[in-house]
Amino acid sequence: MKIGIPSSEPSLEGMVESKLGVADYLIVIETDDMSFEILKGSSQSSGPGAGVQAVSLVVGMGAQVILVGYISPYISNALEKQGIEVVTQVSGSVFKAVTNYIDSRSLAVKVENKELRPGKSMPQNQWAVAIGMGLRQFYSFLPMLIGVVLLLGLFQGFVPQQTLLSLFSGSALQDSFWGACIGSILAGNPVNSYVIGKSLFSIGVGLSGVTALMLAWVNVGLIQLPAESKALGIRFALIRNIAGFAVAVMMSFVVVWFAGGSV
Amino acid sequence: MNQGRGFSIFLRFKILIRPWLFPFGIASLYGLGMVFVPENTNIALHRSVSIFLQLALPICLALIMMVVFNRFLSPAVITRFLGQSTSIKGVFLSSLAGILSMGPVYAWYPLLKNLKDKGASQFHVANFIGQRSIKPVLLPVLVICWGGYFTTLFVFVSFIGALIVAYIVSLSCSDFPEK
Repeated sequence: MKIGIPSSEPSLEGMVESKLGVADYLIVIETDDMSFEILKGSSQSSGPGAGVQAVSLVVGMGAQVILVGYISPYISNALEKQGIEVVTQVSGSVFKAVTNYIDSRSLAVKVENKELRPGKSMPQNQWAVAIGMGLRQFYSFLPMLIGVVLLLGLFQGFVPQQTLLSLFSGSALQDSFWGACIGSILAGNPVNSYVIGKSLFSIGVGLSGVTALMLAWVNVGLIQLPAESKALGIRFALIRNIAGFAVAVMMSFVVVWFAGGSV
Repeated sequence: MNQGRGFSIFLRFKILIRPWLFPFGIASLYGLGMVFVPENTNIALHRSVSIFLQLALPICLALIMMVVFNRFLSPAVITRFLGQSTSIKGVFLSSLAGILSMGPVYAWYPLLKNLKDKGASQFHVANFIGQRSIKPVLLPVLVICWGGYFTTLFVFVSFIGALIVAYIVSLSCSDFPEK
């Protein structure tokens, strides 16, 4: 389940803002794994439509619950008709607000279950929850995967193989380096790296380059570097990413060594 | 009232459409291609269909594995593995936590920060992030795309690589407490 919250800072440590329209940041948190996305809010300078704009942003990201200090009744009514829960008079840190909401919700579910079947657990409900979560996770990467496959088809149909191969010289070291560079820049579900890697391999890119791309895809994240630095420290993030890059290149040689250049 | 209804329709539209903008955009390129360069577009379409067919079965298997993992694992269970000592058991548990963790890596940053603040070692945190390159739920896709031998090699080098990176991080960061 996704929860949308207006926040003073672009992190879970920020404070919940009183109104959606005046928040500097809007955070949408997935409670299944506490992942979150940050959207730039309208801030104080915006006009009267800022609240509606902010709501449409967080709901557009899939939020099913909104936690906020105050929200206009007509927006709140419209949201509730859509099955989106609105909780007002929320304050304190974003993280605390979410955990309080989850706790109160699971307490309510427990009480409900107890009333329905006293003394019995409900394993079928746990499976239903697991299936629901699985389908949501599946749906979250499906559109991107379809887009990537269609894009790969276009590349193969329109871009001559020689052009694609020109980046990869055939030298294992250079191919690994470029593969790791591409893997470091691109982000997303690793399944995309398997498909892109396979597609590159089928047109003649060396195994070292493809393996380095797939290894760096998860181990090195230039896009996530600012977030990693903020959470775990800049030194940690830099060293981990640089070492991850070097290891991706090195391990691609190991794979080529064992696989003999073919799969 | 009308304003509220219009707003509701707008919200529903945004929820449904947003994730599909990228594939729709690419599909519209196919549409243009069919009009102006039909030969190349046909080749592109055939390539895409063949990749889709290749992926169908492993993706279905991945979905089943996701459901099973969701049923038996939770972020709370996984993060509990990270608070262990630097013994072999600790290394094993932090590796297991990384391998079993799902979702984007930035989802785990707040929890990792919290664990680091509570004393989890740099090695375990780095190892957790590195081991995330091994994705049990995506193994069927990897096997179908690349075959069993490459998959085994890939998983093995990913595992060893994550340990090497974690070791480098622990050596380089242990004397420099982060602020």
